[in-house]
Amino acid sequence: MLVSYNKIGKGYIMLSTYISMLIALLIFIVLFINSFDAISQVGLKLFTLEWNPSKNEYGILSMLYGTLSVTVIALTIAIPLGIGTAIFTSEILPSAYRIYVKSIIELLAGIPSIIYGLIGIAFFSTWIASFFELASGRTILTAGILLSIMILPTIVTLSDDAINNVPKKYREAAKGLGLYPFEVIKNTVLPIAKKDITGAILLALGRALGETMAVMLLIGSIDKIPTPFYNVLSPGQTITSKLGREIGESAFGSLHFSALNTMGFVLMLLVIILTLITQLYLRKSNRLYE
Amino acid sequence: MNRKLTNAVFKIFVWAAMAASFGILLFLISVLFWKGFGAISFDFLFTPSSNFGAEGGIVYQIVGSILLIVFATLIAFPLSLGFAIYKSEYVKSSYVQNITDTLIYGLNGIPSIIFGIFGLIFFVNLLNTGISWFVGSIILAIMILPTIILSTYQAINSIPDSFRENALALGLTKWQLITTTLLPRGLSGAFTGLLIGLSRAIGETAPIMFIATAFSGVTIPVGFFEPVSALPTHILALAQQATNPQALQNAWGTSLVLLLLVLIFSIAALWRRVKFSKIEY
Repeated sequence: MLVSYNKIGKGYIMLSTYISMLIALLIFIVLFINSFDAISQVGLKLFTLEWNPSKNEYGILSMLYGTLSVTVIALTIAIPLGIGTAIFTSEILPSAYRIYVKSIIELLAGIPSIIYGLIGIAFFSTWIASFFELASGRTILTAGILLSIMILPTIVTLSDDAINNVPKKYREAAKGLGLYPFEVIKNTVLPIAKKDITGAILLALGRALGETMAVMLLIGSIDKIPTPFYNVLSPGQTITSKLGREIGESAFGSLHFSALNTMGFVLMLLVIILTLITQLYLRKSNRLYE
Repeated sequence: MNRKLTNAVFKIFVWAAMAASFGILLFLISVLFWKGFGAISFDFLFTPSSNFGAEGGIVYQIVGSILLIVFATLIAFPLSLGFAIYKSEYVKSSYVQNITDTLIYGLNGIPSIIFGIFGLIFFVNLLNTGISWFVGSIILAIMILPTIILSTYQAINSIPDSFRENALALGLTKWQLITTTLLPRGLSGAFTGLLIGLSRAIGETAPIMFIATAFSGVTIPVGFFEPVSALPTHILALAQQATNPQALQNAWGTSLVLLLLVLIFSIAALWRRVKFSKIEY
């Protein structure tokens, strides 16, 4: 009787393991198979500018540009702001308050992206429109700014952990040499915490690349690279916003659907690789102070 | 003098960054509560929506969202418990350990819209389920699997080997060891992971918008393969008619309800984490 329970138990554990692993592989395989049509039929013409399903033109360059530019804007704003805030919470804020501030920031990281999208539509796009005197505030810049706010909590809370993990003795030794707080942080604390902060930024980058709802509502959804290309005050399109807008309208099995799938597949690979780098490589750092 | 000046500039930068960050966060929260409370009333919470969401309330959206995450829990929880026990107790080679790690972290990294596309291809089209809330639950369950697995695994894996050795020395079988010794401790980690996962799942729009939800004319589903309406997709639909002030007003109300649901889960998770992190062996 005992043995059979043992077997049933093991059976349950193995079954759930196999199902979970199968699901992960299945997602990968299903997306790969469905993007195969586009890769074989459109081929290198995927890397052109025109996206026009009725003419069988599937160029994804403008979507790639949109994703890239939105992400760059978001990181340019969020990295200095986030690391500055993290230095404040870990170095200046008394440690008794740190746990509360961190809790609040972590709760904010959980606000659903659709709510950010709503705030973006109601406030940010109108502000951008009136500030730059544009007809519509739905631009690459608006989406980038909103995205920077969305990834800010991730950067702040993870960088704060990284900085806080640097042992006190390093700071004390540096202070003992007569360095100013800035020099202590720049020359001692940040170099030690660098690897973990890089991890935080990569994680935020992954989130920014895959973010859909807020970007989709705010970017204006026009498949064009603006002229000149650095004119971020014009509407654009990201991979995710394209997928969000069009996948419901494209017929399953068509080349159009497959081309959209290819974009999704590329995006997925990119984000998975980023995540794996952060989790498997950076986490295994043998810290010099342990 | 130069060093002193740099230090002063640096201090100003850090304070400014802090002020900006917290200013933004304060702005977000106050806008959501201020606009949201203006839109919420007893009627809003307990009447169905009408006129494309611009009028009426959100009772079916609340029911739909809760239905989605209840079934996501029922699917994800047993699966991830089994996987976590496997990973912690059965895997002996570091090679297999690396494969499972890669799969879990990989799954964790997939952007949410990709889950939606996977559901659309695999369930809605290949298995021909049609738009179905049950498929939505399955997809949300897949999405929160890694969170629960990792949290459970950490809780079980941190139990010292002396517990296992004692149990085995008493003549317990491996399954008895798991149910009597490891699970009671591992479950707390599993629940924390579940709460974190649910706080994410309930707010997700992208995975369910093609496969599980319909915007109008939906009440409580009677079968497994019917659409529901959910809070996040309701906000999406209302946000797209943002020029209509009445629709926008309802969107704020819906957002606050959704935010409060998310906060219930994430505060519970936070509280559990603070409470159970004090366990020392």
